[in-house]
Amino acid sequence: MALTRRRLLASAGIGAAGVGLGAGGYLVGHDAAEADAAEAGGAVPFYGEHQAGIATPVQDRLHFAAFDLETESKAELRELMREWTTAAAEMTAGRMVGTAAGNREQLAPPDDTGEAFGLPPSNLTITFGFGPGLFDRPGLGLADRRPAELQPLPTLPGDQLNGLESDGDICVQACADDPQVVFHAVRNLARIGRGTVTMRWSQLGFGRTSSTIRSQETPRNLFGMKDGTANIKAEDGEAMDEFVWVDSGPAWMRGGSYLVSRRIRMNLEVWDRSPLQDQEETIGRSKYSGAPLGSEDEFDPLPLEETGMDGKPVIPADAHARLASPQENGGVQILRRGYSFTDGVDESLGELEAGLFFIAFQRDPGKQFVALQRRLGVHDALNEYIKHVGSALFAVPGGVKPGGYAGEALLG
Amino acid sequence: MNRVPFRALLAAAALGLVALLVAACGSSDKAPAGSKELTFKLTDAGCEPVKATAPAGPINFKVENGGTTKYSELEILDGETILGERENITEGLSGSFSLTLEEGEYAVRCKEEGGEGEGTLVVTGKLETKKSPEIEKAIADYRSYLEENTDELTAKTKPFVAAVVAGNIAKAKQLYPEARIPYERIEPVAESFGDLDPRIDARENDVKPSEFGGFHRIEKALWEEESLQGMKPVAEELTANVEELEEKVKGVKLQAVQIANGANELLTEVSTSKITGEEERYSHIDLVDFKANVEGSQVAFEAVAPLIAKQDPKLAKEIEADLEAVYAALEPYETSKWPGFVLYEELSKADTRKLAQSIDTLAEKLALVPAQIAKGEQA
Repeated sequence: MALTRRRLLASAGIGAAGVGLGAGGYLVGHDAAEADAAEAGGAVPFYGEHQAGIATPVQDRLHFAAFDLETESKAELRELMREWTTAAAEMTAGRMVGTAAGNREQLAPPDDTGEAFGLPPSNLTITFGFGPGLFDRPGLGLADRRPAELQPLPTLPGDQLNGLESDGDICVQACADDPQVVFHAVRNLARIGRGTVTMRWSQLGFGRTSSTIRSQETPRNLFGMKDGTANIKAEDGEAMDEFVWVDSGPAWMRGGSYLVSRRIRMNLEVWDRSPLQDQEETIGRSKYSGAPLGSEDEFDPLPLEETGMDGKPVIPADAHARLASPQENGGVQILRRGYSFTDGVDESLGELEAGLFFIAFQRDPGKQFVALQRRLGVHDALNEYIKHVGSALFAVPGGVKPGGYAGEALLG
Repeated sequence: MNRVPFRALLAAAALGLVALLVAACGSSDKAPAGSKELTFKLTDAGCEPVKATAPAGPINFKVENGGTTKYSELEILDGETILGERENITEGLSGSFSLTLEEGEYAVRCKEEGGEGEGTLVVTGKLETKKSPEIEKAIADYRSYLEENTDELTAKTKPFVAAVVAGNIAKAKQLYPEARIPYERIEPVAESFGDLDPRIDARENDVKPSEFGGFHRIEKALWEEESLQGMKPVAEELTANVEELEEKVKGVKLQAVQIANGANELLTEVSTSKITGEEERYSHIDLVDFKANVEGSQVAFEAVAPLIAKQDPKLAKEIEADLEAVYAALEPYETSKWPGFVLYEELSKADTRKLAQSIDTLAEKLALVPAQIAKGEQA
């Protein structure tokens, strides 16, 4: 029986008016329910050639979680991925997890935790990935399926990583336009996975810091700067194929991509007391228009060769935009999909614990993210204001076919 | 100390309510088949009728608001225990709920404090109950465990109390954990007897300062104040209270579903107060209680396990494995010296995280048991 969260709410509402009690309407199965999910808007198909949540226009909210696998049994891992896939398909369609009976049984805890009840799908996408550590576990027997690209990230210049905020065997990236919907997704998957996986770390993101389609306005990061102007756009099929989608190596990764996450703590207090000129030169862009320094429009090319009246480059040699640009990196690009975060107050400093949860997709992390970060970590003027405290790499397999499950080609 | 719902369930069991069936959302077709229907109207005068009668068995209570803004709820009580209720029935609305009641006199209230507008419901006749031999056995097994532990509680509390009365701090400290164990194994049942649990086991701030007594008051005296001054009456009252518990347990009526709920409740105890180090905040012997809670939960589960083995054999197996995993997680912290475990203060965050995860895993599965048992009872 398929019930949308919205239909459930509607039936509860009718119950309140007609019968006199708002305790919740009965779950009534209707064929119309499926159509209703589409009406509610914002249901991103879960199944497809690629997993959703990569080329999907970036949603506003993120809940990302990394899990440790607590079993050496491949069969148990397979079962987990089956259950997770079923739940992910339900939630992304705006339905509750589990069965109608399982959500109405008075003497048992409901299958679904319920906080997304009544909310539309909100463009929810759930993207699964596997960490390098999984392929080192002898019991799982996956060593011969390990792609050459899936090596733990090397220590990079400036790294100040905290192990408890890094790595993990399996990742879940939940993105949607509603914070409660992403939280609900991760919470329910964690609950389903209890006993097989434990959550190692998780990160909420409250605002997107990039755009992945041309029609999306470029958002600002917590430094108040437009971020992701030069990002790969999903409409650019050639760039997606060249830089994002995997088309070689083990079959299970075809149509997939590699996800690098970096928890980047921003020293907002220091940034905020820096002169505007310093801020703009650090990035290489004008703060308000987002245009490259010395240019008018946000999307003007970076004038990397130009020098000013003082003989110095218009875009300083250590500006972030310059060092991260494809022109200075042999044409290399990545698809960025990061989010701003804040997690209260830094206990030891009394300052905002906030920053950028950087997420990038690429076909070869060694040649793309790692190569870029090796330069940035040493030369970037931005390093004065940031530190990388968390890091992880996951292999995100290709898309899921109806009836199949995420990672089937790897685990099957 | 504990949250309300299971306590209410157990209280209901203790007070003679046979099955607590809360019908969802006012649909009378959800009431058990063969239910007697009783309609109460809320008016400015209170509940109408003021006197109602019904035969023992399932009763579907219909509640209608007859145009009053004064009252908007109806409760059925046995003494001071609410057995069932419907709230927010404002003008023009109606609703219903179901209860299965045994012979006796119950209060019908449309106001929380009672008094004004209160009615009575007299239930007559014998309730037909048919319990399978498996259910009878489950209940008998758990009952003997319960009695064993309340006996032991009295037996272990007495020397502890004697040491406190004698002002022997070292001896009292030595004996304290032993007295805690039998109580922690059966705590949900103790909680069903009104304020008996807080009298025995309240933590500071759970109750008014003037009412703070029982184990934890003495624990505070021993470890924090390091003085037993003024503890004699507290200790003597503790003896009286554990003896009262021992007596009361003998008359308690148990249901298989409630035994299963008790198993879950004990794990909730672990999650909310033991793994956080709150229960034994002065002595830090929380892991002693932790293990006792798990043992009590295991026995409760094992009592009802044969009932679900038929319904869901896979679930029963998984719970057994998860229980073993909990004991395995605890094992590294066991010691041969007092109190049998390392103190809570010595645990790192990684340690408590591991322990908490093992409980969460077990509890997620164990929570599925009561509904399975109820299904089995109906089958």
